[in-house]
Amino acid sequence: MADPQTYYLNRGESLPERYGEDRLVILPRDPHNIFAYWEISPQTREALARRASEEGCPEFALCLRVYKYGWGEGEDAEGFFDLEVSGDINNWYIAVPHADRCYRVELGCKAPGRSFQSLLRSNLIRTPRDSLSDLIDEQWQLPDWKAQKLFRRISLYHLSSAEFFRRRPEAKRK
Amino acid sequence: MAQGFLALILHAHLPYVRHPEYDHSLEEKWFFEAITECYIPLLMVFEKLRDEGVDFRLTFSLSPTLLAMMEDPLLQERYRKYLQGLQNLARLEEERTAGDPSFAPLARLYREHFDAAAAYLERYGGRLVPAFRRLAEENYLELITTASTHAYLPLLLLQPESIYAQLANAVQYHASLFGEPPRGLWLPECAYEHGLDEIISELGLQYIITATHGVLYATPRPKYGVYSPILTRSGVAVFGRDPETSKQVWSAQEGYPGDYDYREFYRDIAYDLPLEYIGPYLHPPGLRSDTGIKYYRITCEGLEYKEPYQPHRAREKAALHAGNFMFNRQQQVSYLASLMGRPPIVISPYDAELFGHWWFEGPQWLDFLFRKIAFDQADVKLITPGEYLDLGYPLQLAEPNPSSWGDKGYHEVWLNGSNDWLYRHLHKAAADMIRLATAHPRAEGLLERALRQAARELMLAQSSDWPFIMTSGTTVEYARSRAVSHLVRFRLLQRQIDEGNIDAEWLKRLEEADNIFPQLDYRLYQDFESSVPAGIAGVV
Repeated sequence: MADPQTYYLNRGESLPERYGEDRLVILPRDPHNIFAYWEISPQTREALARRASEEGCPEFALCLRVYKYGWGEGEDAEGFFDLEVSGDINNWYIAVPHADRCYRVELGCKAPGRSFQSLLRSNLIRTPRDSLSDLIDEQWQLPDWKAQKLFRRISLYHLSSAEFFRRRPEAKRK
Repeated sequence: MAQGFLALILHAHLPYVRHPEYDHSLEEKWFFEAITECYIPLLMVFEKLRDEGVDFRLTFSLSPTLLAMMEDPLLQERYRKYLQGLQNLARLEEERTAGDPSFAPLARLYREHFDAAAAYLERYGGRLVPAFRRLAEENYLELITTASTHAYLPLLLLQPESIYAQLANAVQYHASLFGEPPRGLWLPECAYEHGLDEIISELGLQYIITATHGVLYATPRPKYGVYSPILTRSGVAVFGRDPETSKQVWSAQEGYPGDYDYREFYRDIAYDLPLEYIGPYLHPPGLRSDTGIKYYRITCEGLEYKEPYQPHRAREKAALHAGNFMFNRQQQVSYLASLMGRPPIVISPYDAELFGHWWFEGPQWLDFLFRKIAFDQADVKLITPGEYLDLGYPLQLAEPNPSSWGDKGYHEVWLNGSNDWLYRHLHKAAADMIRLATAHPRAEGLLERALRQAARELMLAQSSDWPFIMTSGTTVEYARSRAVSHLVRFRLLQRQIDEGNIDAEWLKRLEEADNIFPQLDYRLYQDFESSVPAGIAGVV
């Protein structure tokens, strides 16, 4: 039971179970496990049910399709695997085979004799390494603390993060 | 010329546990105990070393939540009363134990300890910040910061703006208290994830500290392991924790703090004496919880049989352990220097609250260690990461590995079945905060106050302490209620802002209750626009 002040400040509310949005997010837990959570909005759910009945296959199953990439965004997936999930859960821990790889997950539906239909697409993450790197190229550099000047500028002019990052493209080209 | 360097780093942090609504809160007591048992004893050791001309260097990370509590007038006043209660109890204990050869000297020891703490605080007008600042200005301490509310950064990187705000506000708050921005950033829980370095670098922070495998498993493989920092492409130096020194202090089996001559933490007079006698001095009164007065030594395995604590024996052990630690560092740096061809740096980070609270003799051990290093040898030199970087060694370019110093070395302590439900709400709130800050770039008056309060609630909800406590299973209900309350308050504010219908009276009460960071700038949350920095995961 909340004390009176907490009750007043929280106005008796607690956290919503869902936000009415479509989203699928993945987080790396360790080199071999990623955590996925998702929410399917009522609209998407309805559309899905409508399509399933139109196409005459009500027995579709929800499924997570886990794509493995090399080390970057611009590459094609090296492969994928599917995990069937029941319709009433909204999160899952996914065991992944390779450390230090990028992964993206799609939540979609599968029905017998039909191809995978994607509903939600996650962010891209990279799992940690679990061993020494095989790369032994050495490059050495003296640190350059140019960034220190930038801090003085935000404290002086109160630049926001947006103004800060607007300068990033120039920084990148150097 | 020293053969190598030792960088001792103490990280001091407590979550924001200010509860004006209660006369006595158990959580505020965490903070009070840390002041009496850790921060003041450590500061007294440092000042004594300085006054006696002992040259030493230490890096001290002070979390913004801890600093905000140290600077809060209500908590300062409450602490003064709390300490008075302890002083009175210690006097009563002196009377009760008078004539007892084992316990009377111990009662006196605690009375002197509490009196000294009160006198110390008096000298600084009830504030600890000036004491830290002075030692930093005299170059004994290098003060660094950490995320504003000690957020577990890797799991919040989905909205890089919220990391930027956590760090930028910390840097600004630190600079406002200590007169200059920090050079280094303590990563909460040493937790690193790809892409964090870019935000850290943008804020002018020069270095971070990671777990051993944060550096050891970097790409490409670091030539010197953890004994030289690496440099990220964005220009942040990364120091990796030395496994040997952490084991010597932390290990439950081999670690120094478990020595049988040291004081037993788990045997407190709060549990041994009749409630009629001790009740009024407990916090809250009548509820048995530690007073800090503990009369026994560890003695042996198990909690059954305990013998009285003998301060002189513990002191000898602390000296012996300091000597052992130093000897091992001499051997370590000589060996490493012979392999490396440049002086190695050994990075030894510890939780500050280990020293004095859990390990009663910890401050004494540090005192002995600093004296021995200064006078008994020339192989090892104490250094701070900032000073090391000033020496100008070229650093190897490498990308650190995602990791933490938590159990199993990655993010599992903060992401498992007991706490994973939290993240969907934290991410949603961060996304809403970014949207609101971007939509209202120049808010004033009530709207500005509501936006600022929303930013405070989000930051407080993001504390790594809540998911940590849920995993450790200690005060789970409290942690859960804190995380949920801040998220609920955030949502109420967000709704009122979106509807243009802010309840001024309620907002005022909220500002009084969750009053952290008076100057927090909500605009730190403005969208990075479409250009999410490369390497930073974003929702697609």
